[in-house]
Amino acid sequence: MLDKLLILFFTITVISSHAQTCELTVFGKVLDKGTLKPIEFASIYLDELTTGVVSDLSGNFELKKLCEGEYHIVISHIGCETQNILFRLSSDTTCTFYVEHSSELINEVTIEDHIQESKSQEVEVLNARQINQQLSKSLGQTLEDISGVSTIKNGNGVSKPVVHGLYGNRLLILNNGIAQSGQQWGFDHAPEIDPLVANRITVVKGVGAVEFMGNSLGSVILVDPKKIEKEPHLHGKARYFFNSNGLGNGVNLELQQYNKWFGWKVNGSIKKTGDSNTPNYFLTNTGFEEYNFAAELEKQITTKWTANVYYSSFNTQIGILRGSQVGNLTDLQTAFEREEPFYTQDDFSYDIQNPRQEVNHHLLKASTKYLFSEQAWVELVYAKQLNYRKEFDVRRGGRGDKPSLSLDQESDFFEAKFHYYFKNEWHLKSGIQVNRVNNQNIPETGILPLIPNYLSNERGSFLIATKSFKKLKLELGARVEEEIRKVATISISVPREILNFENKYLNYMASAGMQYSFNDQFSMNYNVGLAARNPEVNELYSNGLHQGVSGIEEGDINLDSEQAIKNTLSFATKKKDKYFAELLLYHQYIQDYIYLQAQDEFRLTIRGAFPIFKYEQTDAQIYGLDFVTKYQINEKLLTELNYSFIRGNEIDNGIALINLPSNSILSSTSYQIPEVKSLKNVELQMIHKYVFEQRKIIEEQDFVAPPEGYYLLGFRVSAEKQLKGIRLEAHLGVENALNTEYRDYLNRQRYFADELDRNYTVGLVLKF
Amino acid sequence: MKTKLIYAFIAISLFACKEDDENEPVTPIIPNEEEVITTVKYTLTPVMGGTAKVFQFKDLDGDGGNAPVITTDSIDANVTYSGTLEFLNELETPADSITNEVLEEGDEHQVFFQVTAGDYIISYADVDKNGNPLGLSTTFESRTMGGSLTVILRHKPDKAATGVSGGDITNAGGETDIEVVFPINVR
Repeated sequence: MLDKLLILFFTITVISSHAQTCELTVFGKVLDKGTLKPIEFASIYLDELTTGVVSDLSGNFELKKLCEGEYHIVISHIGCETQNILFRLSSDTTCTFYVEHSSELINEVTIEDHIQESKSQEVEVLNARQINQQLSKSLGQTLEDISGVSTIKNGNGVSKPVVHGLYGNRLLILNNGIAQSGQQWGFDHAPEIDPLVANRITVVKGVGAVEFMGNSLGSVILVDPKKIEKEPHLHGKARYFFNSNGLGNGVNLELQQYNKWFGWKVNGSIKKTGDSNTPNYFLTNTGFEEYNFAAELEKQITTKWTANVYYSSFNTQIGILRGSQVGNLTDLQTAFEREEPFYTQDDFSYDIQNPRQEVNHHLLKASTKYLFSEQAWVELVYAKQLNYRKEFDVRRGGRGDKPSLSLDQESDFFEAKFHYYFKNEWHLKSGIQVNRVNNQNIPETGILPLIPNYLSNERGSFLIATKSFKKLKLELGARVEEEIRKVATISISVPREILNFENKYLNYMASAGMQYSFNDQFSMNYNVGLAARNPEVNELYSNGLHQGVSGIEEGDINLDSEQAIKNTLSFATKKKDKYFAELLLYHQYIQDYIYLQAQDEFRLTIRGAFPIFKYEQTDAQIYGLDFVTKYQINEKLLTELNYSFIRGNEIDNGIALINLPSNSILSSTSYQIPEVKSLKNVELQMIHKYVFEQRKIIEEQDFVAPPEGYYLLGFRVSAEKQLKGIRLEAHLGVENALNTEYRDYLNRQRYFADELDRNYTVGLVLKF
Repeated sequence: MKTKLIYAFIAISLFACKEDDENEPVTPIIPNEEEVITTVKYTLTPVMGGTAKVFQFKDLDGDGGNAPVITTDSIDANVTYSGTLEFLNELETPADSITNEVLEEGDEHQVFFQVTAGDYIISYADVDKNGNPLGLSTTFESRTMGGSLTVILRHKPDKAATGVSGGDITNAGGETDIEVVFPINVR
């Protein structure tokens, strides 16, 4: 994957032992992990002595006249995250640093296990440096630049990632290995994860996630914090960001240490943003604030046995554009026709009023891993999640203090996983999982709940086998999963009464993949997977007015599970230091795809007539391609071009599926200089993005036509500076530099308002 | 020893999963839907005396289920009526009057009257605490043509916007809490 400097391991070989003080030398070499070719211009810096060297054409470097003792060696390379390694020197030493070179985009090792594990499925990774470049962004927005990934939003504060056209409960998000459990069904419910806790975010553009429990029709997003480094000193980083649009500020602090007894890490963020502005007006009541915290303890009990406890807490309050709360269809029509939304204030404000959301999410994870041998190990995981969501609307009679929606969800998850490597290069991984979700409405709203109370028990088990040949890698996986969900809902008819239902589902999933390398330059990847998703409670039991979209939504208690078959085929070609290109083709057939179908009738209510939408099932397909290229023009100039194309329709009538991302092109040109005076890794980047108009949606499918295509121009400047004991990283940026006035099809706020105008961003990172 | 600890861990985890194993979802509590408006009643009383005319829109089960029931009446030509609007929540027993709530928050509400294919004049006969029209009380002057009357209650309209105090809804904004249509016959 792009620009990541992953130091796998380094070996120290003692070559002589005439330990005179301060006459020691370190002879080193920096090599590419994949090709074993030397890496030029890597910077090697000795923190204690505030001196450093740069690797030469052969990747070699020499550090001379060193005293005996401990040193922190900082290794950095253009576009990569800097690594800090503790080094004990007692004699002349030769060491080799294996780093992963930047132009490798695919086949990343995604999970840092005891023994490396690779996947045949398509994977893209955002590393710590890329996360640092967009410190102010939410999880969804952070991933937006990845080909094939977009976000579905409700204004700037609420965004959900979309991968290959699927989102919400069709896309699995793993927070530190645990499937995020919350109200994922809502269009305007963002995943409750702080990207600043993560060190790496992986998008698996997959065909089936047989390893994981939970709803997914293929793709998975993994948000992983960095493992606690085995370093006896206190290390950490402090980060700060500023956004001119919305006057957003945020700080994040991370500390970690591995002392004699155990390793620990803490991470905390505070973020606050006010009203954003478009080129012509403020988006009143679109500020948000976040308070996040995570802590981790790890204990190496014996050389074969480790235990780990992780806790994270995500707390947010998000303002929803005041002008987007409408009472009926007439209000909605009036809102469409207005230049600027109702209730737009002339002044900027940090205030958050109704409509707003208050969300708290807590995750506690305890895990332990026991190695029987280098070839076999077992891992046990228990996780508890608490999710509290309250949504407040503008209400009559002073009821604004009472939420209109108040949901508590509690989930308990247990997993046992077993890995085994056979001598003949087969790798087996299997596991069992149980999960229990208890979802309830808190009766404080005075409103008939949107979704019912339910208790769901899931059990699943899986088996994955991989085998590597010389040029070929094979992967086979299967999963069986059972869900029993008991539901208690309130009738829509009067007198109100409690109705009980039970849903039972049994699903089989399977996936197969192969990766074949023709030679150093060409490789191909093929995956096929069968996946299933059970209908969500809102799809089964909704019945009533969905105020936000001015429609009556009716669930259908007879919906079946969706069954999907997805195929991905990719071709990649690369030449080190020159070019990289990958073409990914995908097709997904979804049997019994659940969607909201507009009916030919209107229902008369006291607020006027509303259109009726029913959850129906049809066979559908989604297909497209992701094209990624990089070209190194010369040592300093790198260009990239990404193109995503996606289509989806119902099979029998060809009508397009709604809420699919528009096609888009992203292009960037970077000018990279390893060293300018005392600055390191200086990078200047110009980014062009063009999003095409969504032309396949027909008039009956939406209240207003999809917005026109748009072009955005952006710039980024990054540089690093090494001080004694501290490395400073600065990222400056301009988004929407041309102040383009535009709206995006996947932002529900497009009915009411434009997107944001020019935004200057500042990000500072201090590593120590 | 280690094996035992692993077993212990499994046991603890399983126990944690099972601890509240009553296996039934929490029974939902039927909310007290005090905010719902089920009924709109527009009463026209002749200023010079006579029988009151009543127009009513009633939807007892809220937004879903059964269709609302609209009752209408015939008015006399060229008569001045005094109009009174009432909003009720008949989900509650006894029925709860929402009219008072609207009256108390008069500055945050306004009723708009729209005449379609008819010939009669409705004017505001009440004001909120800021002296802006509210619309719970009106004066209704009939002519010879009925047509239909749309009654709209807006929450948090911009009463200062152009035309709003004259009863024009175009620039009012706010959320529509009520929008009902009554056919009006003239005798």
